[in-house]
This record gives sequence, C-alpha cells and structure tokens, in this order.
Amino acid sequence: MEREIQLLWLAVVIYVIAGSLAIFAVVLGKRPEKTILGLLVSALLVHGISIGLRWVRLDHGPYLTMFEILSSNVFSLLFVFALAYWRFRAIRPVAAIVLPLMFIMMGWLMLSNPNPGHLPPTYDTTWLVIHIMFGKVFLGAVLVAVGMAGVVLLRAAGIGEQKFSRLPNDRRLDDLAYRFMALGLIFESLMLIAGAIWAQNAWGRYWAWDPLETWSFINWIVLAFALHLRVTLKPAPVRGALLIIAVFVLAFLTFFGVPFISRTPHQGAI
Amino acid sequence: MTLWIARLASLKLTLAIFVLFCASVVLVYFTHGSPAWILALPFCLFAVNLAAAILSNPAFWRQPGLLVFHLALLALVILLAISRLTYLKGHLEVSDGETFNGELTESESGPLHPWHLDQARFRQENFTIDYAPGLNRGRTRSQVLWQDADGKLQQSTIGDQHPLILAGYRFYTTHNKGFAPDFIWYPAHGGAPQEGTIHLPSYPAHEYQQALSWTIPGTRHKIWTLLEIDEVVLDKNRESEFRAPKKHRLLIRYNGQRHELRPGASLLFKDGRLKYEGLRLWMGYTVFYDRTMPWLLAACTLTVLGMAWHFWRKFAARPWRAED
Repeated sequence: MEREIQLLWLAVVIYVIAGSLAIFAVVLGKRPEKTILGLLVSALLVHGISIGLRWVRLDHGPYLTMFEILSSNVFSLLFVFALAYWRFRAIRPVAAIVLPLMFIMMGWLMLSNPNPGHLPPTYDTTWLVIHIMFGKVFLGAVLVAVGMAGVVLLRAAGIGEQKFSRLPNDRRLDDLAYRFMALGLIFESLMLIAGAIWAQNAWGRYWAWDPLETWSFINWIVLAFALHLRVTLKPAPVRGALLIIAVFVLAFLTFFGVPFISRTPHQGAI
Repeated sequence: MTLWIARLASLKLTLAIFVLFCASVVLVYFTHGSPAWILALPFCLFAVNLAAAILSNPAFWRQPGLLVFHLALLALVILLAISRLTYLKGHLEVSDGETFNGELTESESGPLHPWHLDQARFRQENFTIDYAPGLNRGRTRSQVLWQDADGKLQQSTIGDQHPLILAGYRFYTTHNKGFAPDFIWYPAHGGAPQEGTIHLPSYPAHEYQQALSWTIPGTRHKIWTLLEIDEVVLDKNRESEFRAPKKHRLLIRYNGQRHELRPGASLLFKDGRLKYEGLRLWMGYTVFYDRTMPWLLAACTLTVLGMAWHFWRKFAARPWRAED
C-alpha cells in the first residue's frame, strides 16, 4: 500500500505544479501549454499506476471507500480535462480555473482514510463499473464546461478580462460549454440506465427513489432544463454560465454529498 | 384544435414542466408517503407536451435524431405508466425444504397486476452465505427446485446478481435470513399431524433477539420461543459461513411455565403433543414483477441514441475547434 500512496502523492505534486503553472501563465501572459500538458499526462500516468496497483491488490476497482472514489474521480476528471486541453487549444487558459478546483478535491483525497473497505456481493458486477465510468465522463464533461463558464463569469465581473483575452469571445465559449453540457446529458443518461440495470440485478428493482437515484434524476432534469432553456430563450452567456455552475454544484453534491446522508445499500462514496 | 396543440407544444411549457418535475421529485423525497399523483402529474403533462410538440413542431420532422429522441421519451413515459399499473414488489420467507406457496409477507402492486404468483412455485433447498472477518456478508448461493413448462424438475443456484425467474416473477435473495425451529403438532384425538416453522428474527442483525411468539397450527395455543445458541455461528475474526448451530437449546414458555427442548423432544398439551424436529434455516426473498422492463430498456437506449444522433448532427454543422 505504501508504494500506491507514494505514487499518489507524486501525482498530486505534479498536478499542483501543472495547476500553478497554468495560473502563472494566465497572470503573466505566458504560454507554457506544452509543459502543462506534459505535466498533466505524467501525473495521470503516475496516478493511473497507483490506482492500478490498488486494483490488483484489492481485486476490485476504486469505487468503495471515499478515498478510492475521490482518487478515481480526480483521475477521471483530469483525464477528461487533459483530453479537452489537448484537443482544444483555444480554451487552454481555462486550466487556470479547472485545476485549482481540482486542488480542493485533491486536498480532501489526501486527508481521507486509505484503508480498504469490504466489497459487498452486490458491487461485484461489470454493470457497476460501466455505471461509474459513464458517471465520471458526465462529471468530466460538465467540469470542462465549468472552466469555460468560469471565464465568462470572470470577464463579466471585470476580472482577468485582459488575461483571458486569448480565449474565444463569450458567445463562442458559451457554445462550446453547452456542447460539453450536451455530452454530459448523454453520459448522465447512460449512467442512469447502467445504474438501473445494476440495481435490478443487485436489489431486484431498477429504480427505488433512494437518495442517490433521486438526486441523480434531479441532476438530469436540471441539465435537460439548462439545455432546453438555451434553445428556447437563448439567454446571454452570463446566465448560461450561471446555469452551468448550478448543474456542476448539484452534480458535485450528488456525487460527494448525498452518500453521507444515504442509508440505503446504494451508497456511492462511503 | 391546431391552436390548442400548438399551445400544448410550447417549449416554454416544457421549461415549466421541468420545474414542476423538479419540485415534485423534491417534495416526494422530503415527505414520506406522498400521494402518487404528485409524480404522475408532471409525467402526464410531459407526455402531453411531448406528443403535441412531435405533432405540431416541424423541427422534429426535419431532424430525425431529435424525432427519435422525443418519440422514445414519449414511449418511456407511457411504458412507465404501464409499469406502475401492472408491477408487483414484495417480500417472502421460505424455510429450507419448504415450497413457496404464493404467500407474501408484504407487497405492493399496481391496480392491474395480473396476480398469477401461484404459477411461480419453487422449493427451497440448502443455501450458503459467506462471511468475511468483521461480519461482512459475502456471496449467497441458494439452491432451489422448480418445474419447467414440461413439468420437469429443474435445479438452480441463485443469489446476489442471479435471480430465479418464474412466470415473469423475479425472485432475489436478500440479506434477510435466519433460523427456523421446525415443529410437528400431533393432535391427541387423531387427525393429521401438522408441521410448522417459526421464522426467528433475522440473523445476525438480531443476534440477541432470537425469540418469537407463535400459535401452534390448528390450535389456539400460543407459545413463546427463545433460541439459545451455545457456539459461535459467525466468527467476527475469521471467514465463516452462515449455518444452523449444532449446539443450541430451544426454550419455550407456555402458561407461565418454562420448558427446554432439544431436537426430537416433545411438549405435552391437553389436546396433543408438540414435537421439536430440529433447527432449519429460512431465507428472505424479494419478488419483483414488471413486464415492461425490456421495453423500458429499449426505450431508454433509443432515447440516448436519438439524443446522440441529434447532437452529433447539430455540432458537426460547426467545427468544435473553429478558433484553432
């Protein structure tokens, strides 16, 4: 276990260096983008090895304890973000918003207990892994959208207008952010479907309005509402950005808050 | 008429329905036992709005992905309504060696549920449950016997992810299980002996409350039984398996008098004799019936495929990396 933790610490240090560099790049108007991407990829590799070692040792994926769930979410969210960072050069400065957000999660991760949990027989199924994977892509897509929404809001508040001048205009950022939100809706729908199949096999019901199911469904409605509102009322980018932040906050609370109040077998992070 | 359909198809109405949906779900979540119409109302409004939009909005017919997505959503809402009208969810307990007779300890069902639970008979054989140190429950393997359509006896091992499916009913093992003292009542003045088992409270959840009052079948005698286990059944410090304890005593209280019974011993009454046959196990099952499940899955899959198709076409019209 010591090796896993050491690798995790190393990955976190590299993430923090990448994030700090992204902030300095925006503040100083520099473009060390290749270095940041290289650091992100290196950290993901080291982090991936740490998760893999734990997976092999415990013979189950990182989805039981809060430590495992935080670790795998930091990995998956930054993996999705690194992909977006690599593919969309125009939006690279949003790393200065997204990576500090991830620092909070990393801090929580480093404070959580790394001891293994017990794998209930109901968790020993491929459908759970599929369900979780879809959930991670959903949250990752929304996180990328949050980065762009953050820039729109900072510009509207008159903060960093100059610093983020290299980024596309608010309309284009809004359009891109909503593409990621649409991706999020597709993957959240897939997450709910895979979760229902798992729940049917595990507990003999595909839907029971337990706290996680209920809040995930509310998430789906709010996300669908945000996308529908954009088509129907065509709100200004600032309002669109606020909706994106609301969806992310709700999703974050669903993933990492609801498990603390849930008393059902479907607990998520425990 | 067309005007009404156009009004019902309003996209602004859709937004209002989303808000109502959210409010209903939150209300149901925070208030237990809310009436069903609180959720049914937004579902109905959503179906009407969707149907009207599909009929009247030409955008749907220009964009096949969007059409598939919304038609599948409509199908999903209709299927959910059928599901709620015909479903059954219940619990049952069966002792090993006993045949499930269709009786549920508790159940809830839709008003149009066809009730053919009598066709779903199975006989409970042995079952095993692994326990890891710390009393962490592991795999459940429950052996059951049932008859197929040709009348042939079949054996299945079910548990955890593998239900027994009979006549559309799906039987799932649960964490709920325990010990079942088995008795035979022999009436003093002839008549057929009657067998009965007491399902003591779930074990190990109620390890220290292994007692229950019970009325002997065919009589008015109410006895109070307590199972005293003289060995460690599930060891907290090592791997173990749920089983009936070999060393145990059954204490019975009747008319203020206390009796201790071991397997094979009897207790005499004025009108008969109660023989304690031994200790068996009982398993708690969940039963679920919903014929719409495969159709719901198909509608969900179509919804996502339609959505993906729609967004793919929409976003392909303008490159993602226009500024690069």
